Amino acid sequence: MAEARVAVSLLLNGRQRTFAVPPGRRLLDLLREDAGLTGTKEGCGAGECGACVVLLDGRPVTSCLVLAASADGHEVVTVEGLGDGDELHPFQEALVAHGGVQCGFCTPGLVVTGAAIVARGAGPHEHARRLAGNLCRCTGYVKVLEALATAATGKHGDGAS
Amino acid sequence: MAPRSPRTTATAAARRTAGAPLGGRGERADARAKATGATRFVGDLAMPGMLHAALATAPLASARLTALDTAAARACPDVEAVLTAADIPGENLVGVIFADQPLLVTDRVRMVGDRLALVAARTPEAAWRAARLVRAELEPLPAVHDPVAALDPASPRVHEAGNLIRTFVVRRGKAIPGRADVTVEAEYQVGGQEHAYLEPQGCLAVPEGRARITIIASCQCPFYVQQAVARVLGLPLAAVRVEQAPTGGGFGGKEDYPSEPAACAALLAWYTGRPVRLILPRELDMQASTKRHAMVVRHRWGAGRDGRLRFAEVETVLDAGAYIGISTVVGERANVSAIGPYDVPALRVDTRVAYTNNLFGGAFRGFGAPQVTWAAEATMDKLAHRLGLDPLEFRRRNLLDDRRRTLCTGQRLPRPVLARECLDRAAALAGWDEFHGRIGSRGGALREGLGIGLALYGCNLHHGGQRLDRASAVVILQPDGSVVVRVGLTEMGQGNLTACRTITAQALGVDPAAVQVWQPDTTAVADSGPTVASRGAHMSGLAILDAVRRLRRKLDPVAAALLGCRTREVELAGGFAGVAGEPARRVAVAKVAAEMAARRIEPIATGWHRTRARRFDPETGTGAPYEFYAVACHVARVAVDAELGLVRVEEVAAAHDVGRALHLDALEGQIHGGVVQGIGWGTTEELKVDRGRLANPSFTDYLIPTAADAPVIKLAIVESDGKGGPYGAKGIGEPSFIPAAAAVRNAICAALGVEIDTLPITPPRIVAALGDAHPFAWAVEAIKAEPDAELATTARDR
Repeated sequence: MAEARVAVSLLLNGRQRTFAVPPGRRLLDLLREDAGLTGTKEGCGAGECGACVVLLDGRPVTSCLVLAASADGHEVVTVEGLGDGDELHPFQEALVAHGGVQCGFCTPGLVVTGAAIVARGAGPHEHARRLAGNLCRCTGYVKVLEALATAATGKHGDGAS
Repeated sequence: MAPRSPRTTATAAARRTAGAPLGGRGERADARAKATGATRFVGDLAMPGMLHAALATAPLASARLTALDTAAARACPDVEAVLTAADIPGENLVGVIFADQPLLVTDRVRMVGDRLALVAARTPEAAWRAARLVRAELEPLPAVHDPVAALDPASPRVHEAGNLIRTFVVRRGKAIPGRADVTVEAEYQVGGQEHAYLEPQGCLAVPEGRARITIIASCQCPFYVQQAVARVLGLPLAAVRVEQAPTGGGFGGKEDYPSEPAACAALLAWYTGRPVRLILPRELDMQASTKRHAMVVRHRWGAGRDGRLRFAEVETVLDAGAYIGISTVVGERANVSAIGPYDVPALRVDTRVAYTNNLFGGAFRGFGAPQVTWAAEATMDKLAHRLGLDPLEFRRRNLLDDRRRTLCTGQRLPRPVLARECLDRAAALAGWDEFHGRIGSRGGALREGLGIGLALYGCNLHHGGQRLDRASAVVILQPDGSVVVRVGLTEMGQGNLTACRTITAQALGVDPAAVQVWQPDTTAVADSGPTVASRGAHMSGLAILDAVRRLRRKLDPVAAALLGCRTREVELAGGFAGVAGEPARRVAVAKVAAEMAARRIEPIATGWHRTRARRFDPETGTGAPYEFYAVACHVARVAVDAELGLVRVEEVAAAHDVGRALHLDALEGQIHGGVVQGIGWGTTEELKVDRGRLANPSFTDYLIPTAADAPVIKLAIVESDGKGGPYGAKGIGEPSFIPAAAAVRNAICAALGVEIDTLPITPPRIVAALGDAHPFAWAVEAIKAEPDAELATTARDR
């Protein structure tokens, strides 16, 4: 059964890419299946847990609720595209330094949302609320928020707290 | 290096300043790959020709299966196989201890989510679409949903033999029913909990013809998965290889349950000859996988005017759901944990495990202890109140300590017993005295309260499961001086890879970065039992120390030859083999490794640890259920909106008796996570069950804490030189969870001046408990006075 396909062109992690996907394809599946970027995770498929968050034109979105076709002509950044070569994004580096990573399944989504928070320069009192769309069951969020505060103030943490 | 050599009894602070790995904050072994999304979970693995599995499940909690029609499912495009119970080559059985649970239903449905048929298709969408087309004719049967009612012989039977699965008891002292100046009687309804690991259950089965099979699974217990798959396929254990995939959270939810999806994927792989991956959708995962047991706990406790406990009677009923799973083991722990770390001269505990047609009860962080602890700590507060004593002071008078250290089972606790230390440290951190010195909370609807929770946790498998309490390790010194470590216990986020790396580095005197601990694989190490009971780091660690001891029998003579000293003079530290007492004479461990390779000396050693055999009499509940114990105390400060019933946990002070800290970031992370998960269980995480069906199987309707709910957490890490695991370390995974909800409950009740004996303490329960004390009770009274008037909400609800 030949399925209809639509062409989706997007700037993905800094590179212009085009994919031919079924019209109902989720952006999450385009990223994981078609682009091979498995860093973005699926935790619920309903936009509730935040494990699949990516940046769409700089804004964090749950990619399980975005149709791939609607990303046509837009820019998408995934967890794989946040760092610069071997250099991690300051929030990724801070998470590692502060021990803010446990099972790691929520981490990619958390990292992407955190990067957006850092980019917008939200004050520390805003961090917890803005991160509330990313569920984490391991860390109790304490070291995650410490890491975010470190990344947001531009200090590179040495892990001491 | 022996775990109890003089060096290991040096203070942790001294070791830290010496730059040794132990007790430090080195980067966690798995953090960088996880933070960049490079870690591949099982859902990220794919193979050419791989098929996707789906399950057809029962929508009713109790029914007879009279017909099963798979024709429509088979006719779906992209479907490769649809299998039913008749296709199972081995036994149709997945029960981990008892033979009461089939992999696929043959005649009787006992819970919503029971599996009827399995589908393999070329895409996940096609597989689930076909699974929905499996037609089952189900004839509804009477069901039982109340665990206490289930024990009535007249109730519908979930299994032929009746609904009482097991009874556990503790009998100690006389004078039951006891005499006391004050007596508290209560019935606590303690709800269950969903694990809500962020990674759903999943596995990948890769067959090699019908000769053997590899399972890559998100799981805590690869050896359980191995046994289940071997049994279902009729294969010897050696023909089933289970490799643990990086596991995105477990908390007990990936202890016994992953055997079920693994057996499903294995069966489909066996039939199709192709790799099969199964990832459970969140809704089915929440419905069908195991849950923390709901329990009903009845108390009759007495105390004297001197503030000492006189007796305690506890009757607990666990809701096991439709299959035993490991509910009896949970019941064993609930039974001996029923009175917490207190000294009670006379005691009678009855713990019964009941079948129902509800959600499947299983392992969850704390393993039966949190529910009974929640009840015990509530009763302690009530007794203190009745005696006119400060809850802190009342606990001080009754805690076990170094002199008074006989546990409820008659076991003498190993010294030091640090309950008082933990209580005082947590109370000090929380500012208990200052808070109570501050008179009169701000008036109005916002009320503040402080509450205490204490827990005593046995850091091993219970006596009943001690045959499983052993662990295996393999240490391989590479020719370049780096070290490969294999252990049989898993990393699921708790930090076992990091703990094992730290222990290996400490024992071999090398940089942690030189040590790579790989995920467990059943072909690499011997059966090490389950990764549960907070035993991962200490059992793996003791097995590693044993392996290092054996490796040094080969390494030390080579080092001695290079150094020109005697073998027994060789010391390992800082990446060097040196001569004891002569810091200048040393050679890099890497050089010793190269020399071993050049001389073809075996660079691999195995290690093994088993706990000491203990005596315990199940008839009376007396003896030594566990080898050693950890104490934990949490003090929670809450703000409660008495109008809306909303609870905000502002701060938790947590003091933990950890023996020795192996890795501070991992240790603190466990406590933070345990506290927040405990707050969720205690306040918002309500499993709404409607005739066996979970009515809120999503993160929108089942509320786990978010970053915005996390309190300030203050920690006191209490270290000591007592009995424990490697270097004296004790488990932290579960002690971090157990007291949290109890502390929150007591804080809420203190804030409001009412008793709430149902968990979770949701806003409607708070408003209901306040009754006439609710700020708007006068308005309700006014409406009641007018018989024709109706509240808008009651009218709408009709």
